[in-house]
Amino acid sequence: MSDLNFDYSLLIPEFILAGTAGVVLLADAFRRELRVSRSVLPGIAAVGALAAGATSLLFVNEHDNFASLVAVDNFTTFFRVLFAATLFVVVLGSYEFVSREIRHQGEFYAMLVLMTLGATFLAAAQELLTAYIGIELLSFSAYVAVSLQKHDPRSGEAGLKYVLLGGVASAILLYGLSLIYGSAGSTSYAEIGARLADGTEDVHLPLLLGLVMLIAGLGFKASAVPFHMWTPDAYEGAPLPVTAMLSTVSKAAAFALFLRFFSGPLLPVVDDWRWMVAVIALLTMVVGNLIAVQQHNIKRLLAYSSIGQVGFMLMAITTVSDASASALLLHMGGYLITNLAVFMAVIAFYNHTGTEEISGFRGLAETNPYLALVITAGLFSLSGMPLLAGFTTKFILFQAAADGGYLWLVSIAVVMSTVSLYYYLMVVRQMYVYEPAGQPDADSATVHDERRELRWRVSPASYVTTGALLLAIVFVGIYATPLLTAADRAVAVLFPA
Amino acid sequence: MSVTLAHYLAVSGVVFGIGIAVALSKRNAIAVLMGVELMLNAVNLTFLAFSRFSAAFSENSAPIAGHVFVVFVLTVAAAEAAVALAMAVLVYRRRETVDLDRINLMRW
Repeated sequence: MSDLNFDYSLLIPEFILAGTAGVVLLADAFRRELRVSRSVLPGIAAVGALAAGATSLLFVNEHDNFASLVAVDNFTTFFRVLFAATLFVVVLGSYEFVSREIRHQGEFYAMLVLMTLGATFLAAAQELLTAYIGIELLSFSAYVAVSLQKHDPRSGEAGLKYVLLGGVASAILLYGLSLIYGSAGSTSYAEIGARLADGTEDVHLPLLLGLVMLIAGLGFKASAVPFHMWTPDAYEGAPLPVTAMLSTVSKAAAFALFLRFFSGPLLPVVDDWRWMVAVIALLTMVVGNLIAVQQHNIKRLLAYSSIGQVGFMLMAITTVSDASASALLLHMGGYLITNLAVFMAVIAFYNHTGTEEISGFRGLAETNPYLALVITAGLFSLSGMPLLAGFTTKFILFQAAADGGYLWLVSIAVVMSTVSLYYYLMVVRQMYVYEPAGQPDADSATVHDERRELRWRVSPASYVTTGALLLAIVFVGIYATPLLTAADRAVAVLFPA
Repeated sequence: MSVTLAHYLAVSGVVFGIGIAVALSKRNAIAVLMGVELMLNAVNLTFLAFSRFSAAFSENSAPIAGHVFVVFVLTVAAAEAAVALAMAVLVYRRRETVDLDRINLMRW
């Protein structure tokens, strides 16, 4: 045991995040004694996120690990930076929303930070227990965060449903882990891989059962059909910034674990689990996209659209290879940027109008052309329109899956992408085709002035976040090479040549 | 007849089955939570059994890992009960029920 690397400096970003959560909680609790206003809380959280993201960049390497529990390699760095950046954007973009809607602001920001912390541990874990603790840290913070919009009865209801279903899913996942532990005799990824490579005839049944339960549990965390029942309810009931976090950080973290665990230790038994993931990918993309068509609440629409995206991403797990893994990371990056842009714009919209109904978006192109542009660009990018991030990343992802021999899955994915364009366009139609509600008569002499009065502006913070994300969407859409290079270097750790 | 690994696994499988049946069929939030606790205890039993008997099929593994896992699962289960009960109280204050069929503000 003496050859383990106990260099605590490898965990600096995690220490910063944990410290930030603690400081935010204490600053809120003692704000009268400290004579500070609540507006310092998002500042602390944002600085912590920035510091965690910046220090993560110190660890660009192939092989470091902490005590064989947590890998600190390029793969971890990729996700650490991605999660810290997401946290920063969410904190910045939701400041106005939180100060108006959330009573327990310290707890709220602390939960967002702890979600990020759990997600980084999940992406970095090299051992089952560490991965499990990461999952639970992420989930528990999410349960609490979902139910924090106390004046809205849907919030508590969503939290209760989420925690009960999440508990069942965690228990199933855990039973799967225990069976894999029993089949392989170890909780370390490396040792599980070595043991399974030696042959699995004598442990075939428990291993297969373990795989089924593991995929079910992880499928729940990533909200794959048929384990998606909690997603629309939790997304609708949760405060908007938490919905943004759920659809980005929590999903990406589940896929990070999927990649690390299935491309390494479980690769020797790939024939046992490949077909399960393929079936789930198929179900997820079909069901998610078809149910999204009939939604009338923007959060539920985005919930089902994110389920559809999970189906596309699962294709990359099915065709496990270095090309598809790097395509998955690239698509994840593009999806995170795009989804955040849409959510930040919807938060700005909700701050002004207080509605989440899609019909409430009517005439937005008239009353706030900038916001309408951001939402349109985001939705088009989600559906995969050229020149935007979604096109490039989806193209590379589909190509990698087709090269991996799953052409039939890719062709269904293309059809489902077209379906998704339909429901995204429904929102765009509301904004651009219809006139704003409360429109003056056309023959009125002062029609021009009254149209002026309907105009409104978003707050400066929202301008900064949505503007930066909009630029990022276009940048990745035109020039994806930097992100692709980062993804390639990250997955090189998983697939040593 | 001595008690072997298979016996432990059978018991834990049965307990897990009961737990999941309770969790999925009961309509009361607290009863669902009890089902989840049963499932977690079945997991603990599996881990302990594998840990105890793992030396039998692999000499170089550290059997202690299963025991450590159980300690963490117990802790997480306690935290989970705390969070879930707090949510139940939150919902009960507003709706005066924790019946999952009647907690239905949101439907697809």
